[in-house]
Amino acid sequence: MENELKIDPKIVSEFFKFNKNIIEAPKMVPAPGEINLEMTPYDVAYTEDKVRLLHFTSPTQKQHKVPIVIAYALINRYHILDIHPQKSWVRNILTQGFDVYMIDWGTPTKIDKYLSFDDYVNGYIDNCVDFVRNEASVEKVSLQGYCTGGTLATVYAALHPNKIKNLIATAPVIDGKRDTTVVGNLAKHVDVDNMVETIGNMPPEFMYYVFSVLKPFEQGIEKYINFFRNVEDKNYVDNFLRIEKWLSETPPIPGELFKQWIRDIYQDSVLIQNNMYVGGKLVSLKNITMPIFTQVAVGDHLVSPECSMPLHYAVGSEDKTLRIYPTGHVGMIASSFSQKVVLPELGQWLKERSEK
Amino acid sequence: MATDTDYKKSLEYYKHLSLFWTDMVYLMASKPAALTSAGPMRKFAIQAKKLTTEMIEANEDLTEFNTRLAEYYKQLSDTWIEAQEKVNKKIPEIPQDMENLEASKRVWIDMFENDFTQLFDSQKFGENFGKLISSELELSKHWNSMLSTLLETANVPTKNDLDDVYKELHSLRKRVSKLEKNEGSDNDGK
Repeated sequence: MENELKIDPKIVSEFFKFNKNIIEAPKMVPAPGEINLEMTPYDVAYTEDKVRLLHFTSPTQKQHKVPIVIAYALINRYHILDIHPQKSWVRNILTQGFDVYMIDWGTPTKIDKYLSFDDYVNGYIDNCVDFVRNEASVEKVSLQGYCTGGTLATVYAALHPNKIKNLIATAPVIDGKRDTTVVGNLAKHVDVDNMVETIGNMPPEFMYYVFSVLKPFEQGIEKYINFFRNVEDKNYVDNFLRIEKWLSETPPIPGELFKQWIRDIYQDSVLIQNNMYVGGKLVSLKNITMPIFTQVAVGDHLVSPECSMPLHYAVGSEDKTLRIYPTGHVGMIASSFSQKVVLPELGQWLKERSEK
Repeated sequence: MATDTDYKKSLEYYKHLSLFWTDMVYLMASKPAALTSAGPMRKFAIQAKKLTTEMIEANEDLTEFNTRLAEYYKQLSDTWIEAQEKVNKKIPEIPQDMENLEASKRVWIDMFENDFTQLFDSQKFGENFGKLISSELELSKHWNSMLSTLLETANVPTKNDLDDVYKELHSLRKRVSKLEKNEGSDNDGK
């Protein structure tokens, strides 16, 4: 009898190989929990409540007088900026001769429910900046903020312009009303007052839900198929597991801060209208007169360029640069592309504006 | 066929009926109950009505939650069907070689990704999602409230009590930080 089912033998062998990989994977691949995400060595230079200021150890001699303080985002942990030796944002800046500090926000608990924008900006960031100014004996520091950290850094620069030499805003969340991502759509429809009143801090589980509706098929299905196909590729597995582990660890966001965030940035967009109050003070983006470098990614599905770019046009700075990169939210900071294009450009820009 | 309005009306009626009798029984029995109940249980006897009220109101919010949840899954399922139809048109036959299989997988993922992203980005999804979360929060509130009633009778701190502590601690931390900063600048001046 003639066999009517004409299936390419390659499909059959691929199918068996895939199944074999699933069975063999635990023997070949470490569990995500066994992976250490700490890469570049650092000292904890300053602590306050749960916040730590990390001072990275430079492999090269410091060549520029003005140190950089990085305000990491409130979502996930700071490790993405130092995720892999070949893709480390921190290491790249260090090797360009800069002194690098990073603010790790820690893991807020129920007791931190009432921490607000004011506490983060006028408290934690200000204290970290003062510490670095004192330690490095400089009047001003360069401040970089990534994602939601970009918003905090922007607000800080507007309220304390005399302490900031250069501002670098990497995918900052600025004008939420213009944001075209799924995150923006969900944020606009959430009754955030009710949420915080009832559950306190924004739970990580809510963030995981939001992650799950971003590219659900590429990120939820295809990514894992590719992982099991490539379990024999050590480099691929290492990269994959590091990013996965990073994605799976997001701390809660203090209720009061989350409330102001959603209302002022996404629902009412008061920051871009120069109508946001932090610690009783009006935040005017026109007060940002220091050199500013805004970095956005065309393929950013978490913070769309329409949400970040208004910062460039709203500040009072005369020395301002806007770069739009053909990559995504994470690709801009932790990829081969960022090492080859984004970081050299940033380094050059900073070198020209940091005293030797 | 019973409509949503009929259902709400009958729920209203049962709510009224239940509250009427709870109130009546409470009024009729409160004096003798006050005689017999003492200590924490006395508080429980006083607050027992609150539990009934919360349960009835939770039932109402459960209806809203179920409506929103059904709409949520309907939107997902409609989008799935629509995307699958598009895929079926694009890939009429089952691929029988590796290259076609890869291409089909790509088409499937791209089409589903596109349709689902459009859904998650839409106002109708955002609105329903917001209401779904709100109704879930209302249910949580009833649960918290019932639990607080029970905790109060056992003399255990409730969520509200802890919130007061967190608020007080936050204010104290702020004051200490301000004092430390002032002390630091005073020492710098010396």
